[in-house]
Amino acid sequence: MAEISFPLPDLGEGLIEATVLEWLVSPGEQVERNQPLVEVETTKSAVELPSPQAGKVVRIYGGPGDKINVGEPLIVFEVPDNTAGIVGTVPKEEAPKRRVRLSAVLDED
Amino acid sequence: MSNSILEGANATGDDTATNTAADSPAPTTVMSMQQALNRALDEVLADNPKAVIFGEDCGRLGGVFRITDGLQAKHGAQRVFDTPLAESGILGMSVGLAMAGFHPIPEVQFDGFAYPAINQIVCQIARMNYRSRGTMPMPITLRVPSFGGIRAPEHHGESLEALFAHVPGLKVVSPSNPHEAYHLLKYAATRPDPVIFMEPKSRYWQKGEVDAATHDAGGGSPTGAKVMREGRHLTLVAWGAMVSRCLQVAELAAEDGIDIEVLDLRWLKPIDAEALTASVRKTRRAVVVHEAPLTSGLGAEVAQLITQSCFDTLKAAVERVTGFDVPYPSGDLEDEYIPNIDRILFGIQRVLEYKRG
Repeated sequence: MAEISFPLPDLGEGLIEATVLEWLVSPGEQVERNQPLVEVETTKSAVELPSPQAGKVVRIYGGPGDKINVGEPLIVFEVPDNTAGIVGTVPKEEAPKRRVRLSAVLDED
Repeated sequence: MSNSILEGANATGDDTATNTAADSPAPTTVMSMQQALNRALDEVLADNPKAVIFGEDCGRLGGVFRITDGLQAKHGAQRVFDTPLAESGILGMSVGLAMAGFHPIPEVQFDGFAYPAINQIVCQIARMNYRSRGTMPMPITLRVPSFGGIRAPEHHGESLEALFAHVPGLKVVSPSNPHEAYHLLKYAATRPDPVIFMEPKSRYWQKGEVDAATHDAGGGSPTGAKVMREGRHLTLVAWGAMVSRCLQVAELAAEDGIDIEVLDLRWLKPIDAEALTASVRKTRRAVVVHEAPLTSGLGAEVAQLITQSCFDTLKAAVERVTGFDVPYPSGDLEDEYIPNIDRILFGIQRVLEYKRG
């Protein structure tokens, strides 16, 4: 298993920090991609952050009222080693299948 | 011992992974191609203080395929770092670093993004040694996650080996399994010449035994091809991800009584013509398999090298089983494009059926 950290992204227009209002997931929980993770408040608005990926939550940073700077860790996921990169999917290992059979008379000269 | 620093590393950079291959060389270990490449790069950085690794997301994130995972935390942001999304800049910077005595190991994140850097690769990197009469070598190891098989969007899966192989001054190599990946990358990263290192991204997760101490147990040159399976009736020539598919085909063909030899070309420039000759002189039949389109693909070069040295003993013209002459398709159509087991078997059957006169 490998751990992947997700830092607080820039929530728009050069904001440098956000305040945690409420965590919607907790450590140990399995989350899906785009599932709401946390509600945070910036100087402009309160927003829900969707999960960038699927995985098991290992750690969350900050409780309600805590400020987190953009770029600092927000949440850490645990994912299997064979998880795909950010683009594409891991090819499935399948038993080789075929429809074609070979037929040949081989002269062993 | 730890397979690689992947295990203890995370993208926050606060890991304390120290139990790495560089500290204690181990005998055979089972690892994925990702881990093998990661370990090779770790050792290259430890061995050569002039080696530097950079590219899009190579540093803090550890690469989109995790190949450079943990390396920045271990070797520092001076030696493993992120670049802007600008391939021409990544390769242009490599030229300057090489001139200044470094050994750059840049990464182009996906093969389709090598195109914006073609000017730097072809006009600068490939020629500088020639242009400077040997006073300005370009020891650059360019890692390019290559070929298809992961259902990625457009530009994320291509087969550029013929393009690179056509450029004088470049060397081109592609590993087929974790063991080859580990050794070929370590070898490439010690060359004084620019090497295009084409990593078959569909095989990144494939696990296999890596014998760190010995590359070719049966002898053989690190610059040569390698017989992956011996056979009597026909030689399948392949490289990169197609090698494991050809090995599967050989197993199936054995059920039909056909004994197939699989030759992993490994180096696509220069091509090991002697190994091709030795294999096909024995089997007298050959089929070349590649993912790239047919026309002007490397299969034509391989077929000519075989024909030139084995013309008098060949039982049939060399067959090519390849991708089609179309732009690399989107993920949904990938299975129709990449040579599959049946297409390779058909190619073999055409050669077996051939009758002279």
